[in-house]
Amino acid sequence: MTPDPTDLLKLLGLHLPPDRLEDALRAFEEIRAEIEKLHALDLADLHPAVVFRPIEAEKRDG
Amino acid sequence: MAELWSLPITELSERLRSGRTSPVELLDAYLDRIDRHDPALAAFVHINAAARAAAEEAHAAIREGGWKGPLHGIPIAVKDNYLTADMPTRAGSEVPLDLPQEDGAAVARLRAAGAVFIGKTRMHEFAWGMETPPARNPHDADRVPGGSSGGSGVAVAAGFAAAALGSDTGGSIRIPASLCGCVGLKPTFGLIGRSGIVPHSWSLDHAGPLAASVADAALVAAVMAGSDRDDPGSARRAADGWSGALGAGVQGMTVGVCRTHFFEGLDAEVEASIEAAIRGLAAAGARVVEFEVPELSAALGAIFAVELASSATYHLPRLRDGSVARFAPDVRLLVEMGRLVSAVDYLQAERYRRHLGQRFAAIFRDVDAVVSPTMPLTAWRVGQREVTIGGRSESVLAVSWRLTHPWNLLGAPAISVPFGVDRAKLPIGVQVAAAPWNEKAMLRVATGIEACGGGPAARCALPENRP
Repeated sequence: MTPDPTDLLKLLGLHLPPDRLEDALRAFEEIRAEIEKLHALDLADLHPAVVFRPIEAEKRDG
Repeated sequence: MAELWSLPITELSERLRSGRTSPVELLDAYLDRIDRHDPALAAFVHINAAARAAAEEAHAAIREGGWKGPLHGIPIAVKDNYLTADMPTRAGSEVPLDLPQEDGAAVARLRAAGAVFIGKTRMHEFAWGMETPPARNPHDADRVPGGSSGGSGVAVAAGFAAAALGSDTGGSIRIPASLCGCVGLKPTFGLIGRSGIVPHSWSLDHAGPLAASVADAALVAAVMAGSDRDDPGSARRAADGWSGALGAGVQGMTVGVCRTHFFEGLDAEVEASIEAAIRGLAAAGARVVEFEVPELSAALGAIFAVELASSATYHLPRLRDGSVARFAPDVRLLVEMGRLVSAVDYLQAERYRRHLGQRFAAIFRDVDAVVSPTMPLTAWRVGQREVTIGGRSESVLAVSWRLTHPWNLLGAPAISVPFGVDRAKLPIGVQVAAAPWNEKAMLRVATGIEACGGGPAARCALPENRP
């Protein structure tokens, strides 16, 4: 059978058993509403607080 | 004469240095108290068999003139998510993690300073909760000690150790300190290295101590601080000049009070106590100013996005192999929910953290420290899931970290100091926070609050008929 390209669970890698997924989705409902408040903020061109830093190489002695 | 277990480190260290008390005698005083009272309070998951040898070694070294400093020979309890060379680490879980027995950076610094590790304290599994079952509050054994460093809060308040180590991702040092009636200090993000501490949320996790006084907490935190090459978050800075701040008073300082967020939905007795502390600071010469940060209404969504996603990422192997099913049900659900946070949610939360940091940086130009309650309520009953404050019913878990987590998002130093009790004689905590790297201002105000309340909180009296 051809995989369904619109299967969101597969697309998002949500490999939880169905009963666990349902519990998680229900519990997440209130948290989702809190996260939505973040999406509503206009943060213009602000960079995220955590940014990438290259790791410097340390030269071997000698 | 006061019992040894009831004395602050500042007094104990002088006794040990002068030889009036030996580290072995001190260790035995705590072990005796643990033996008599911990069966009812369940603060410890492991007692260190190597502690006696360490105390004997400290005794010999001090006697021969080799006193290393104020922590030499002082028994300290360690939260179960710090790796240690002489004790196993389980992070509060029954799931085997195969964690190495070796000291992380902060523990290594304490060991080098001569501290004696008395045992491992109970924690909420993987630091994901505020109750720490089955530990009990020493002020009322029908109530929770808070979490996730609940065993450490009990250990300090009950006089089981001179101080205890904790970790704080959204309030896990300050919450048990507030509920158990001791001091809990979370320094600036990056000051104390976290290598050798089981991660929960990499950009929110802070290490720090719980202790019987602000001076004791500052002393332990200063020894834990410093560069940690194995922690990418390490700022490679030391805790300089803190001791001078402790007795400096608050005369001339500006103390900020943020009525939005930090004073909303409070238990009436908690609110009255914090207002009394603020009046005390004003009477001691501090200028009190009020400010508003409406953007704090989005803080809960931000900390959930970062903490849930980070925790699920850390536990990916256990999600994959199914061993997450052996976690406590509340912790399992949180870890599984982390999969529902998107990358966009996470990055927006990180952008919000920068925005909030800029807002507070502007406030800290005019304000030395911010004072609020540590928690909106006092210790709740074991098994209680909801609490009604001001006629509104909320889950205790949602209420418990509301006032502490903004300082984790900001990476700013924050401390909880006991200030009074409610009518059930349960402790109330005042939270003092300051700008990142301005621990000195935080400590000045925190010791000012101790002075208003008549000094450090006494250790909890426990009924002697307990097993």
